[in-house]
Amino acid sequence: MRALVTGANGFLGRHVVGALLARGIEVRAMVRPATRLDALGWPSSVEVFRADLRTSRDLPRAFDGVDVLIHLAAVVSGGEDAQFSGTVAGTERLLDAMASGTCRRLVLCSSFSVYDYSATSRILDEGSPLQQAPDVYSRGGYTVAKWWQERVTRRCAETHGWDLTVLRPGFIWGRDHGYLAALGQQLGRHHVVIGPLTRIPMTHVENCADVFALAAVDPRARGQTLNVVDGPGEQIWSYLSDYMRGSGEPGWRLPIPYWLASTVVRLAFVTVFRQATKVPAILTPHKFDAMLKPLRFENRRLRETLGWTPPLDYKQCLARTYGPVSPAEAVPWRSETAA
Amino acid sequence: MKAALIGAGQIARQHLACLKTLPGVELAAICDLSPATAEAAAERYGIPAWFTDHRAMLEKARPDVVHVTTPPTSHFRLAMDSLDAGAHVIVEKPATATFEELEALARRARETGRHLVEDYNYIFNRAPQEILRRIESGQFGAVTHVEVMICLDILGPGGFADPNSPHPALKLAGGAIADFLPHLASLAHLFVGPRRSAKTVWTKRKVSPLPSDEFRGLIDAERGTAAIGFSSSAQPDAFWLRVYGERMQATANLFETRLTFDGPRNVPKPLRPFFSGLEEGKAIRRAALATLLRKFKGPGAYEGLWELLAQTYQALASGSALPVTVNDVLEVNRMVEALKPTEQLP
Repeated sequence: MRALVTGANGFLGRHVVGALLARGIEVRAMVRPATRLDALGWPSSVEVFRADLRTSRDLPRAFDGVDVLIHLAAVVSGGEDAQFSGTVAGTERLLDAMASGTCRRLVLCSSFSVYDYSATSRILDEGSPLQQAPDVYSRGGYTVAKWWQERVTRRCAETHGWDLTVLRPGFIWGRDHGYLAALGQQLGRHHVVIGPLTRIPMTHVENCADVFALAAVDPRARGQTLNVVDGPGEQIWSYLSDYMRGSGEPGWRLPIPYWLASTVVRLAFVTVFRQATKVPAILTPHKFDAMLKPLRFENRRLRETLGWTPPLDYKQCLARTYGPVSPAEAVPWRSETAA
Repeated sequence: MKAALIGAGQIARQHLACLKTLPGVELAAICDLSPATAEAAAERYGIPAWFTDHRAMLEKARPDVVHVTTPPTSHFRLAMDSLDAGAHVIVEKPATATFEELEALARRARETGRHLVEDYNYIFNRAPQEILRRIESGQFGAVTHVEVMICLDILGPGGFADPNSPHPALKLAGGAIADFLPHLASLAHLFVGPRRSAKTVWTKRKVSPLPSDEFRGLIDAERGTAAIGFSSSAQPDAFWLRVYGERMQATANLFETRLTFDGPRNVPKPLRPFFSGLEEGKAIRRAALATLLRKFKGPGAYEGLWELLAQTYQALASGSALPVTVNDVLEVNRMVEALKPTEQLP
């Protein structure tokens, strides 16, 4: 079995490549033309395909002999239009190329940000309401791009009768990616913690990569949409202390109850910012909710559909994120735990 | 008045946001090669029809005005097709890749009795317009010289210097900086008129895919001189405009709202610098607040584009003279042509 992985050198991608190799799946790794590969330490069995989804003309060739596409690539920095054209128009070009070949199976990396947090109460799971147009356009470039990427992919899969699995990871964390937007507002070394007891929908990058590799091979994943979180998640306050201890960046934590911050943001929005067309993310109720609303996050469908349990528990994830680099982590495709 | 756009990328957003606010303008259709990009723009701005083929759009939507907001090397073909379809054309800068293409467009515009407008947004920002007002009222005195200098870091990985996907502007003579020449030339032209001759320096300070990252030009024009420049290395980002008159001088940063004047003062000469400094300080403090407030609302540094579009549509509706005429476009581009590098640096 051969998988084509886009965004293969990204934070999640490099772990997905490792997890696929650990399952004995051949990997064709798509990376951008100027990507440096030396630091990735991939074995020679990984076939590298250099292309940029925005402009490359030979994308159809990437699908030669491929059984499953794992589409992780997205532009997550730059302005709204750079994110849209990189993520959405890039996906259109990739799927056009796929349609010209024989590959019929794909796994898409979507995001929790496609949910409408403001309309969700208590539990956020796969049945929660999704963002709708035109509200989605007030949620910022990342959400607009990921929402459209999923929309384009679903339409295309339906048109061509492909087997699609949509995975929606929560906050993906791991080495050099310990800080999460859910932690509130950073002021230098100090933190304003909004809703300190709120749980974070989080998945460690190696656990998350394991789900992608499993979804690629397991027929039960076909046609499914699954949220990817390791469990109910850590509370913001306690994860932040693990983060500060682990990263060696001490600072003060100022706790603010969620209801108080939410009231202030909503009041400011209907008074001061009502007429404003450009407001910082955290002061827009929709975006504020998506970052900080205290909800419970479920991975019941993931567990029941694929029989998945996270290979690494929270303590192991902390060690992998903040501890010394272990030999197993340096060569993930030989790791037993991440397999 | 029915408006349509070809190209739904970054600058199109400013056109769309502005058109939504203009009375008597109906956004009829939008076109982009990427279906999702076209559909998303249509959904977001409430546009009834979207297309991926511009000819189909011109035929079905029959727009009165077409905005061409695609990468520059595609402008010529799209603008020509739009003129042929009987529409006025508002084209993003640079209007065409070569002067010959522009002359062909201008000819066709005259033949079809349609207007051709190139987007010189910065000359419609408040600062240049205020300077112009003082010149016209006589208090500034005749302009002798103008300086325009853009300092902008365009060497970051995501933009013009993207190592993975060559930016379309790199196909222009002069590369990424050619994308800014119409800004520089339109401001020089506004204050000192058509060029008589020009000297230029094109250099490269840093390693990047750009053919050059620094540019300076010295222009002898009909009503005065101009010194213009672009620097990718000078920081922080700024867009300096300095106008020298026989009685006054004006300084503005067009990325912000800062505008200061210095001129004759009714105080003893030794005290002049003191009072000038006080007044300049006051103007800069006021501008600092205005720059902060405009972060929350409106077009920001694109205020000139909104003004240009408002004036253009008003003129089209009433049949009066346009704020940018086809002659302005030809004169500015004759200046641009004289500024382009004669040979590419290695």
